[in-house]
Amino acid sequence: MTRCDGAERGPAGGEAEVFAVDDEVGPDLAAVDWRATPLGPPAGWPQSLRTAVSILLSSRFPMWMAWGPQLTFFCNAAYRRDTLGRKYPWALGRPAGEVWAEIWDDIGPRIDAVLATGKATWDEGLLLFLERAGYPEETYHTFSYSPLRDDAGAVVGMLCVVSEDTERVIGERRMATLRDLGSDPSVVRTEQEMLAFACRQLGGNPHDLPFTLTYLFDGDDRARLAGATGIPAGHPAAPAVLPFGDTGGAWPAAELARGESALVALDGAPFTGLPSGAWAEPPAQALVVPLLQQGSAPYGFLVAGLNRYRPLDDGYRAFIELAAGHVATGVASARSYQAQQRRAEELAELDRAKTVFFSNISHEFRTPLTLIMGPVQELRGRLQEADPQVREELEVVHRNALRLGKLVNTLLDFSRIEAGRMQARYEPVDLAAVTTELASVFRSAMDRAGLAFEVDCPPLAEPVYIDRSMWEKVVLNLLSNALKFTFDGSVGVRLRTEDGHAVVTVADTGIGVPTGELPRLFERFHRIESARSRSNEGSGIGLALVKELVGLHGGTITADSVEGEGTTFTIRLPFGSAHLPADSLIPAGSAEAVSATADPFVEETLRWIPGDGADAGRAVTPDVPAAAHPAAPGGGAPPRVLIADDNADMRDYLARLLRQTYRVTVVDDGQAALEAARADPPDMVVSDVMMPRLDGLQLVAALRADPRTASVPVLLLSARAGQEASIEGLEAGADDYLVKPFSAAELLARVRANVELARMRNHHTRWRNAMIESLQEAFFATDENGAVVEINSAFTDILGYGPEGLPYTPLHPWWPDEREDPQAHAMVAAAFSQLVSEGRGSCVIPVTHRDGHQVWIAVTFNDVTDPDTGRRRVVGTVRDVTAEHYLVQRESALAALSMRVSRADNVTDALSGALEALQEVWRARRVTAALWNGGASPELVCAPAGGGWQDLPEQVREKLSALREQPPLRPVADRADGAGVTLEHPQGLLTLWIDLGQNRPFTTEDQTLLALLAGHLGQGLNRAHQLDQQREAAVALQRAILGPSRLPDGFAVRYEPATRPLEVGGDWYDIVPLAGERIGIVVGDCVGRGLEAAAVMGQLRSACRALLLQEAGPAQVLGALDRFAALVPGARCTTVFCGVLDTATGDLVYSSAGHPPGILAHPDGTTQLLEGGRSTPLAVRPDHSRPEARCTMPARSTLLLYTDGLVERRRRPLTAGIDQASAAVQDGRAAPIEDLATHVMARLAPDGGFNDDVALLLYRQPAPLEVAFPAESSQLAPVRTALRDWLSRCELNPSLIQNVLVAAGEACANAIEHGHRHSPGRTIRLRAVATAGDLHLTVADTGRWKPPQPEANPHRGRGVALMRALMHEVTIEPGASGTTVDMHARITR
Amino acid sequence: MTTPLTLVASERPDGTPVLAVTGEIDMSNAGTLDAALARSAGDGSLVVDLSAVDYLDSAGLTVLFSHAPRIRLVANPLLAPVLTISGLTEVTEVEGIAPDGTAPR
Repeated sequence: MTRCDGAERGPAGGEAEVFAVDDEVGPDLAAVDWRATPLGPPAGWPQSLRTAVSILLSSRFPMWMAWGPQLTFFCNAAYRRDTLGRKYPWALGRPAGEVWAEIWDDIGPRIDAVLATGKATWDEGLLLFLERAGYPEETYHTFSYSPLRDDAGAVVGMLCVVSEDTERVIGERRMATLRDLGSDPSVVRTEQEMLAFACRQLGGNPHDLPFTLTYLFDGDDRARLAGATGIPAGHPAAPAVLPFGDTGGAWPAAELARGESALVALDGAPFTGLPSGAWAEPPAQALVVPLLQQGSAPYGFLVAGLNRYRPLDDGYRAFIELAAGHVATGVASARSYQAQQRRAEELAELDRAKTVFFSNISHEFRTPLTLIMGPVQELRGRLQEADPQVREELEVVHRNALRLGKLVNTLLDFSRIEAGRMQARYEPVDLAAVTTELASVFRSAMDRAGLAFEVDCPPLAEPVYIDRSMWEKVVLNLLSNALKFTFDGSVGVRLRTEDGHAVVTVADTGIGVPTGELPRLFERFHRIESARSRSNEGSGIGLALVKELVGLHGGTITADSVEGEGTTFTIRLPFGSAHLPADSLIPAGSAEAVSATADPFVEETLRWIPGDGADAGRAVTPDVPAAAHPAAPGGGAPPRVLIADDNADMRDYLARLLRQTYRVTVVDDGQAALEAARADPPDMVVSDVMMPRLDGLQLVAALRADPRTASVPVLLLSARAGQEASIEGLEAGADDYLVKPFSAAELLARVRANVELARMRNHHTRWRNAMIESLQEAFFATDENGAVVEINSAFTDILGYGPEGLPYTPLHPWWPDEREDPQAHAMVAAAFSQLVSEGRGSCVIPVTHRDGHQVWIAVTFNDVTDPDTGRRRVVGTVRDVTAEHYLVQRESALAALSMRVSRADNVTDALSGALEALQEVWRARRVTAALWNGGASPELVCAPAGGGWQDLPEQVREKLSALREQPPLRPVADRADGAGVTLEHPQGLLTLWIDLGQNRPFTTEDQTLLALLAGHLGQGLNRAHQLDQQREAAVALQRAILGPSRLPDGFAVRYEPATRPLEVGGDWYDIVPLAGERIGIVVGDCVGRGLEAAAVMGQLRSACRALLLQEAGPAQVLGALDRFAALVPGARCTTVFCGVLDTATGDLVYSSAGHPPGILAHPDGTTQLLEGGRSTPLAVRPDHSRPEARCTMPARSTLLLYTDGLVERRRRPLTAGIDQASAAVQDGRAAPIEDLATHVMARLAPDGGFNDDVALLLYRQPAPLEVAFPAESSQLAPVRTALRDWLSRCELNPSLIQNVLVAAGEACANAIEHGHRHSPGRTIRLRAVATAGDLHLTVADTGRWKPPQPEANPHRGRGVALMRALMHEVTIEPGASGTTVDMHARITR
Repeated sequence: MTTPLTLVASERPDGTPVLAVTGEIDMSNAGTLDAALARSAGDGSLVVDLSAVDYLDSAGLTVLFSHAPRIRLVANPLLAPVLTISGLTEVTEVEGIAPDGTAPR
């Protein structure tokens, strides 16, 4: 923005310049007709005004100002935006009193004060009702008025800097209400209390909520007023009830019930005279929002009168909805709390009703009981001499009447306590004596149950107040309980004084109580399900009564229990009588001693314990047949009936009835019945429903699930009457159901009918079973999960597992242990998974017999569908193939071992091969063999290979050492980890250890096999040893008749026999020094192998050597050999390369009798084949003259002669091998000749070694120079001459020759001068060797050089410097036996 | 026995004394050369003609160094490396070789 165009654009020319600072408000200010104001046109404004306007306009902070007598109004853009609203631009240039007329009462006095005093004002968050949006609006402002002065310093106006706080103030107010609504810290209360609380919070904010109404729907399509704030009761806008259908009602209740909000305009009839809350005027609108309930219709709705001074924006609406949300949540929790309360009360009521019912009914029992007991007692006395059966039955009546009486009395006690009518009489007693006496009543019962009974009640220091009869019940109940749930161990009663209390504990070592059940132990009628006990009789009321009785004594009872270990009840009674009602106290000794109460307890207890101390739970009372079995229909044995009932009387009764017709077996619970039925399925099972361990319904289900017992008919007996109970029994699979009481005739009829029906039905089943049993092979059937559900006796014979253990669920007990033998386990697992998944197949697997030994079985299986159930079954047969398995294993192991041993070339290979075979046979972790051949420590061979004796673990070393004491071939198996054996090795005793790695058993069969294999290994080693010896002899012979043992310098040779045993052959080389510097060289190859070929070779070699020594040329030599070979059997067709080399010149004359060409490697990297002078192998054309060829070996070239074993390979042309050999020689042309020979042999050797023997001869021209001379200076010249001559043979350039001569001369001079100054005449050696690109010189003396002392010997220091300057590499190595100077020079062209 | 060495003293047409050496110089005969040089000691400079010398080692160099101030050398290319490496060319005037000599490295 530039000022110049502002001046042009402004309507009043330069006058508008002052407003150009801002382009938003500026143009509008410029547009004001300032002439009409007291300020006049801006051009005439004083500088102070212009400055003030300029500051105002350029500020981003909201500001307005007033200037002059009328306080003319100015403002900036920020003020316009935040505060002025619709008054812009009207307000510009008007008197401030006019602009802010509605708040002039508030701000006028402040402005006046500023103008009068010149002091600034400060107001924070002042409420001002601005009419900037078309209505009076509640706004808050923080502002300061400061004076403005004119050019003369007089106060003529004021500047207001303001920030609006409306959002902040209102936001905080609403937040406070919401916070209070959610802040109720108390627990959930009633709905009414909750609503009252909410209303207090809503009423606390009359600004945002001038009034509220809370309505709740009451379920009859009506809404009921539940709370109100800010509005008086009975106001027409707040009717107590709002029917949905009433469209003329104050609030749209039906709409709200659907969960919708509504904005209601508050005009018209019901809304006149509404309260105004915190404001002057009442609300003009109300927002009505539902009280939403999750997943259901709303609870009701909240009416909120709206602050008319604020717009209903998103913030206001959200505030009201959140407030309604709080109210709804409160309603929800209050209602759910109420519901819980109600439920709890109902339960308590139910409990009370139950007790009342039982006590009433018990009372009714007493009369008939009395009328039974009396006559029965009479009869018992009168019938002393009567028929035993009559007496027995009378006893049953007597016992059960006692039991019923006890039950009834307990229930009556209960109802008395409940009703507060228990008449207790507390007297001070010696608690120890009373308790001991009570406990003694149980002594014999405990003895008969086989339990130790420890009563430890020492006298207490003071008496304890008890009601004797109640205390009896407490102690007797606890003891009978202990005996009922304790099967072995002990029951103990203890009395002690602790913290002013008498403490009685009754502890048992019984089955204990599950932790989860402990809290409910003392609950009435609560019985722990499926607890094993001596009897299933009981009402679940005994312990509850005990607790009540102890409570009446002011005492406590607690129980501690560990399931499976026992239970301890602890009673704590206070001493003294202060805690007891005074009118219930009686003097000591007023009550009688142990009453008749004890009888029923003991009587009942004794019935739980079988006679003669036999263990109750599982005892199967053997057949109790009648005197004579009536014949069964069809003439077979009488049918067998199994009776299961935990009540001994009932058991005896049933047995007595059925024994007349059937063979009867009785057991006392469902589990025993199941075991008996599985072991030997009866023809019929008669069972009670309620039994410990396994009840009747579970028994039926278990019998039905097992194919062997699935068809056995079951008759259930129960005391539970009614259609439902019998249907439940029949659904479980029972064939018939009889409700107690039942008549003897009915029982017999039902049993007979079921037995006969089953016999007919089972006819074919029995036939099938007989078939299966008669099978020779083992037979089994599994269900679809692989559980073995049926087997025959052959199966039991093979695996040791009989039908009594059926079903055998996976993992079956015959699976090998996974830790002991993981591989066997895996094999069985694989077979099993095939059985389950595919249903058919066959395999051979190792399994474990019941007695622990391993059995190999061949299993064949197929799947079939059970025609009865339609379910998939797998049936299979099993054969014991253990013997066959071990036979096969032995044979294959033997074959593997023999193959390894026979393949080996020598004893060492034979042994390590055998160890590998052993490792494979047993899949061993490691097989270790120690050879005790007299050395310091034994020689060790391992599979897998590696490590020496010292690397072995101490344990294995000990085992191998200990085995030496063992006779040979007698395996020693270690149960834990392996087996060992001892055998004879050609060089000593061999001990061998097989480390199986895992805990795998080494069976007897394994030991037999190991002995067998060790025997074979011993023989194999001896054979290999003999072969070794023969071979060594042959190789020695071969080497003896090969070429000279000392070679002329410059030559290298190799002979390598083929790898197979005894494969020496007919290859040879020979080097024959001739006259002058000539040397004869020969490489030949006789046909055939073995000792015979070696002998022929020897003859030919000797002949050839003799011919060469007679100065014959190569062609002549071969011609003569032709004739010689014709005379020697086996010599025909021998190939020979024969040459005569002049080492001085490198000239080579040669002839070849069918031999592969020699290879000549030039120093420049090229190769040449010596293919001239070729003719047929020896003695093929004896009279034919042989050709000769010539060539000259250039200096530093290398000649390779060889036999075809070096280059000949199957399925490869000979030329490829020759090329390979050429490349190898060429690559090594810079290497010393010996190294080159090694390099060529290594490079050409096939992976498995040479399969034909190989002879090889290498020569490099010129041969190295070797000069030895006495340490005298006169020798220097002749040595120099020899060296110069040799260097020229190497064809080097003259300057290099001169350099080498000087360097060598200096080295020699040093040796003479220093090494031998005091012993002249000792020998100095100079050696020079040339390769293709390098000269190597050494000068060695036998003395010691002095360290260089250049000052003393300037010219000697100069000598060493010359050597270093002239050669490429010089090292001077002083040693104990002399000094060696080593020098290299690279050969350049 | 010493290595054969021929020493012939002569004079150039301008009267400069010349000692012509023929053969090989090593530690066995360096003394002979030394004596000859000492004998022909005069005031003026002596030309030592080594052009017929096939071999010269550090023993010979030491002799030449000891007489360096008063001798001038005539050499052949074969001797150049030895004369250059030893530094003799820096203290004595040498004729008959290229200034850069021929050193192997």
